[in-house]
Amino acid sequence: MSEEIVIRVRGLVTRFGEQTVHNGLDLDVRRGEILGVVGPSGTGKSVLLREIVGLEVPTEGEITFPYFDENDLEPCRGVMFQDGALFSTLTVLENVEAPLREHTHLSHRLRSEIAALKLSMAGLGPESHHKRPSQISGGMRKRAAVARAIALDPELLFLDEPTAGLDPISAANFDEMTRDLARSLGLTVFLVTHDLDTLNAICDRVAVLYDGKVAAIGTIPEIEANATGWVKEYFSGPRGRAAGRGVAGG
Amino acid sequence: MAAEAAFDFREDDRAPVLALRGDWTVDTIAGLESELLALGQRMTAGAVIDVEQLGRFDVAGAYLVDRTLREGVVGEESRIAIRGQHVNALRLLQAARKSAAPPVEPPDVPTGFVGFLENVGRAAAAIGEEILETVSFFGETLVVITNLIRNPGRIRWVSIVHTMQVAGFNALPIVLLLAFFIGMVVAYLGARILGDFGAAVFTVDLIAFSMLREFGVVITAVLLAGRTNSAFTAEIGAMKMRQEIDAMRVIGIDPMEALVAPRVIAMLITTPILTFAAMMSGIFGGLIVCWAELGISPGMFFGRVAEVVPGQHFWVGFAKAPAFALVLAIIGCKQGLSVGGDVGSLGQRVTTSVVQAIFMVILLDAIFALWFLEMNW
Repeated sequence: MSEEIVIRVRGLVTRFGEQTVHNGLDLDVRRGEILGVVGPSGTGKSVLLREIVGLEVPTEGEITFPYFDENDLEPCRGVMFQDGALFSTLTVLENVEAPLREHTHLSHRLRSEIAALKLSMAGLGPESHHKRPSQISGGMRKRAAVARAIALDPELLFLDEPTAGLDPISAANFDEMTRDLARSLGLTVFLVTHDLDTLNAICDRVAVLYDGKVAAIGTIPEIEANATGWVKEYFSGPRGRAAGRGVAGG
Repeated sequence: MAAEAAFDFREDDRAPVLALRGDWTVDTIAGLESELLALGQRMTAGAVIDVEQLGRFDVAGAYLVDRTLREGVVGEESRIAIRGQHVNALRLLQAARKSAAPPVEPPDVPTGFVGFLENVGRAAAAIGEEILETVSFFGETLVVITNLIRNPGRIRWVSIVHTMQVAGFNALPIVLLLAFFIGMVVAYLGARILGDFGAAVFTVDLIAFSMLREFGVVITAVLLAGRTNSAFTAEIGAMKMRQEIDAMRVIGIDPMEALVAPRVIAMLITTPILTFAAMMSGIFGGLIVCWAELGISPGMFFGRVAEVVPGQHFWVGFAKAPAFALVLAIIGCKQGLSVGGDVGSLGQRVTTSVVQAIFMVILLDAIFALWFLEMNW
């Protein structure tokens, strides 16, 4: 991991009518890190993700990508939405081929082979290639969605609640897959989660959103050392302690 | 800017060397595939990949290189050996090798004549199934409504009134407007054709007969089929997809009672009212044309209507309204509850709902016409 900043958020303000979600939020994402973003429900974690990937426009402030061509960002980033958001009229394989079809001129054979490779990297075997998203389980949908997100070999991977709704074993496998992918492909991962196990197991740094700002950012031990208020409660509550022990012990 | 991908192949004294140059990424490798394919047979044992000149490299590039190795003389067992320094070449090649999976062929779907026969057979079976399901749904709805009449406390009035507002009275302006135009069209036709015989005054009869017996109710029903049926199917279908219907069932709310019955009852109340409004609007449209084109004053118009058009014509038309309402609401709700898990099925069910509803309205109207004719009403 380097000190290079790949995503720079400065003075971000987001308002929906009367309600202020972000109030002067600053955040730097470093190249090659896995950054976990946590915070109580309603603090605008998913909104932040949507703003960074350009689906929503912040009220004020700016988001810049110092290393990328701002006019051609789509191939540089992959996004996995919470429920996968796979195209329901396409098969799983076609879903992964869709970005390749849109952005490259690969032959049909190479395109489907690369799609199959990405599915296999995400942990999905050939038996699900020709099924529709409605015919596979929720955990498999998430894996297929990750495969689609990395189809174009992006440098930035955005994951919205990747382990929500998975059983603990699937969630742990999913975390492991995320880490392996990030390491072997050199990805920078921006990960919104509620899952303390995920934070402990794979995140290099954690950013805590609270009250419209980044209340704390750093490695988990660093955050725990200076924790106050909600942050303290979050990491040293019974669930936080259990998750931390799991990692220390295993 | 990406440097173009290229390679050199040379056979050193001991082993073949594939030297990669430029950026090998998903954007740049498209042109190299056939050349590499041709190279496969020369990648003998001990082949080496030279990455000294390699620029950016990604999984797609690594896959293509690895595939060339695997399709070489040695096959799947070939070793990945690289020469030179590169940030991630070896790691990506290994990742590509580890996960490489041959794509599977999609399941066979019969094509040609056999496929055509299969499709026809499936469609015929589906129609039969559909008829059976709709008829049993019709029966189930009647049972639920009968039970509700026996226990009026269970009737969901709020839901009924809401549906009456949204699906009924909000449709009033468009129903009035359409019926008005149809009345005008009928009047023009009558004025033209009957005028040729010097019987222009019979235009009034034509307008009153057609609007009261047929057009008022059919226009209303066809419009509701497009407007309300699609809404019913989409609403209930979306609830089905989001598992709201399942949630109702486990809580112990009967979706038939909570979703279907209020819609059917609301339609039973509002359709006759809309029909009446359409009849009046159509006659009014005809009246305007008669006045402007034929010089028949409103007084004369209504006088003639009262004289030659017996009240039974109104009842013949009006009696069809509840029947159409029942059929429309039941088809809309039934199709909504038949929606499956994906978006495609929602679109298909909404289409089916509207087409079936219009079809049933026209079919029922023809049956009614025959029946009333034979009864001499």
